[in-house]
Amino acid sequence: MSMSDHPPSKPYVWKNPLFVWGTASGNAEAPSARLPDPRDTWRKHTAFKVATHPVGRLKYFLIWPHHGNRTWDRTRWWPTRRNLLHVKGLYNRKTAIPEKKILDRRPIYWMLSLILLAMGPFLFPQTQMNTLLTAGAAFGIFAAINVCWTLIIGTASIFSLATYAVVGTAAFVTSLLSIRLGLPWYALPPIGAGVGLAFGVLIAAPALRLDGFYYALLTLGLNELFRVFFTTSKQFGAASGGLYGADSFIDQNWQPLTQSMVAYYASLCLLIAALFLFRFINGKRLGRVLRMAPEKHEAFAAACGVDFKRARITIFLLTSVALGFIGGFYAAQYRGVAYSIFDFQTVLLGLAMITIGGIGRAEGAVLGTLVVIFLRDVLLQLGPWRYLIIGSAMLGVVLFLNNGYFGIRRQFKAWRAKKSGEWRSTRTEKGGETLPEEATESNDKDALYFRRFDKVQRDYLKGLITPEAIEEHRRQPLGQHSEALERVLLYFRRAKLEDKYALHRAGPQGPYKIIAFSGVRGVSPRLVDDREFGTLDEAYHAVFMRRVHDLLES
Amino acid sequence: MDIAFVIINAITVAAIYGLIAIAVSITWSSLGLVNLAYGFIFSFAGYAAWLVATQVSKDPFLIAGAGILAGAVAGIIICLLVFIPLHDKPAFTSRGMIATLAISLIGSQVFLMVFGPTSKSLPDIFGRGKVKFFDITLTAEKIGIVVCSITMLIVAVTWMRSSRRGLEIRAMMMNPHAASIVGIGIRRTGLYVMALTGAMAGLASVLLSQTYYIAPFSGLTPLIKGVSIALCGGLGSVQGAVIAAILLGLVEALTNKFAGGQFVLMTQFLVIILVLMIRPRGISGLVDKAREQ
Repeated sequence: MSMSDHPPSKPYVWKNPLFVWGTASGNAEAPSARLPDPRDTWRKHTAFKVATHPVGRLKYFLIWPHHGNRTWDRTRWWPTRRNLLHVKGLYNRKTAIPEKKILDRRPIYWMLSLILLAMGPFLFPQTQMNTLLTAGAAFGIFAAINVCWTLIIGTASIFSLATYAVVGTAAFVTSLLSIRLGLPWYALPPIGAGVGLAFGVLIAAPALRLDGFYYALLTLGLNELFRVFFTTSKQFGAASGGLYGADSFIDQNWQPLTQSMVAYYASLCLLIAALFLFRFINGKRLGRVLRMAPEKHEAFAAACGVDFKRARITIFLLTSVALGFIGGFYAAQYRGVAYSIFDFQTVLLGLAMITIGGIGRAEGAVLGTLVVIFLRDVLLQLGPWRYLIIGSAMLGVVLFLNNGYFGIRRQFKAWRAKKSGEWRSTRTEKGGETLPEEATESNDKDALYFRRFDKVQRDYLKGLITPEAIEEHRRQPLGQHSEALERVLLYFRRAKLEDKYALHRAGPQGPYKIIAFSGVRGVSPRLVDDREFGTLDEAYHAVFMRRVHDLLES
Repeated sequence: MDIAFVIINAITVAAIYGLIAIAVSITWSSLGLVNLAYGFIFSFAGYAAWLVATQVSKDPFLIAGAGILAGAVAGIIICLLVFIPLHDKPAFTSRGMIATLAISLIGSQVFLMVFGPTSKSLPDIFGRGKVKFFDITLTAEKIGIVVCSITMLIVAVTWMRSSRRGLEIRAMMMNPHAASIVGIGIRRTGLYVMALTGAMAGLASVLLSQTYYIAPFSGLTPLIKGVSIALCGGLGSVQGAVIAAILLGLVEALTNKFAGGQFVLMTQFLVIILVLMIRPRGISGLVDKAREQ
């Protein structure tokens, strides 16, 4: 139990102990205040006032213990020297057991998600099996397209909206060739890739000259041009809203369930191929070169010797080939293609897919596709509300998130850093002690500790300045005082000369005036104010009041 | 097909699309927003005009006024939903563009749910009069469309040249940062700009509904035509948009005459791509960056 449980201002009369001995100077007794415990002030000042939560600030790593001699073994992707996982082997400092720490967990999550997708048909409920398999097949193809599109928009920073136009053109051309010339299904994707390359070259030409948004608007128009061309041309025009009848790897004599299964797994393979393409472009030389040349820093990158235009166009062409391949695959899977692939609605949905997950990340494209396709193809009972939900999700993500779902983590961290800075600055009180920023500048750490102690002591002494103490001093400025007043006076006496005052006697018997020392040798003291005091005790008390004022101001 | 007839048609259509192009252009240069929700504004204004025509009165001024007013309201909605929350966020341009696209996706679905998929048509607001001019027959509708869009353009440009608000908008076009330093509110100016450009798109909607129908997705073609013209003329330049509208109108007329209707978009885009290859910022766009966002 500390003494601070007594309120300090509780009436209490101090009795001068020296009176018993008859040697007393000062007051015989004086009303005073009980002393608070100085340790309370100290504890209050040294306490850590920030709320500490058990989660959120540390980065948690997955740790495999008990690896023994295998701690430093690495599994590599044959025939490269690349590791399977980014791991670090170390001894646990507390237990001295060797363990492996996984520094990058993303490959694990990718593997788990892909395994889940591969097991999908065995997990789907029987009542919804057909819907889910069809949606799954669409998901695979659209996710593959969006992963390629992410390469164009994210890695190459070319804001192209003509992605679906390239896919659609390749699909239409290969379907037509298959119908007219009877090409087998396995010839369609390679031919589609050729068509994609040709169209890529055509639409890459303006990208060399145009800036981001000019190019976006141009490709939006090109998309419409392709739509009008294919729907009005005689070769591609059919009454069924598309061009159908191409050869397919799905035999129509199979069971319907088998057909859906084959379509599902084929498009899953396509998605995995697209992910590998993403990894090999974004994670290797081309992607790294372009990471040096983000938007608005192109000139700097060029000055450093980065040929960013060449890299961007290379990515664009490679991706166009991939998109053409996907177009051929699309034709081979669905036996043809509908005009709706050129619709503005398709472009919007595709943009929603890559926006919801986060532009520039493969995982963003895949997650966004999953969400949008699930809403569009599975929740059919919602009717037109599905598109409203998709549109609102897209709008919400764009308005509130800097870079989609997978950007939340970074955005939250930045927000938290900003907020914690703000909170720290509201907590910081500057009362003579040194702020952490200043403390690093000073070599005399002793001075820093003294200033900190001094601040705590002044805060304690401020609590001792009561009307009783002032009245006690007024009655008898010299001699023995109560403990509260004595502590204050001792602190005052210990101050540096330049913080103190002195009395100047104008005549042989007074009056007295208050002066202050300059603290500089050779510079004379200055008069503090014009007040004159008739007796020495009055003058002492005036000096005391001035020091009290200085203390309370500090 | 008579060449004069084709040219007159091209001019009428160019006048309407030119209005949207100038709206796109002004929005981009003053706010830095690539507004692709003009399709939404277009349908919004069209449906409002249709509601007035069927529910209130068939007075042409009332119908046109309703279209213009609804366009301005739709513009303000987009400003409140997209420009004001986003204008100081990172990657504003791309996020703003995606947000306007999201609004057009939502908008078309809402129209589909409220008004159904059947298209609506407006009554003739210019009557059915005809004027013989040498060998050419001009219908009142065509004269009305051209006169109305030119009047709207002149009113808008005069307002921007001579009023206090117009001065603020022009200051924002030149240097948005400096404009905000001298006390021009970015958000308030954004509201004026979006209301003005929305009103232009609303008028274009009413005018185009004289020939075409109003449907949930009918705003797409005007949007793409308008954006293409703005792109070709140079974003941020009114006279560039006028030149590009005339140029593309001529290309359309000539293609119709010599090659056939299905090649119109192709020749137009070839011309646009050619123009942009020679002048990457359009016919009268500035060569260096006109607006740093």
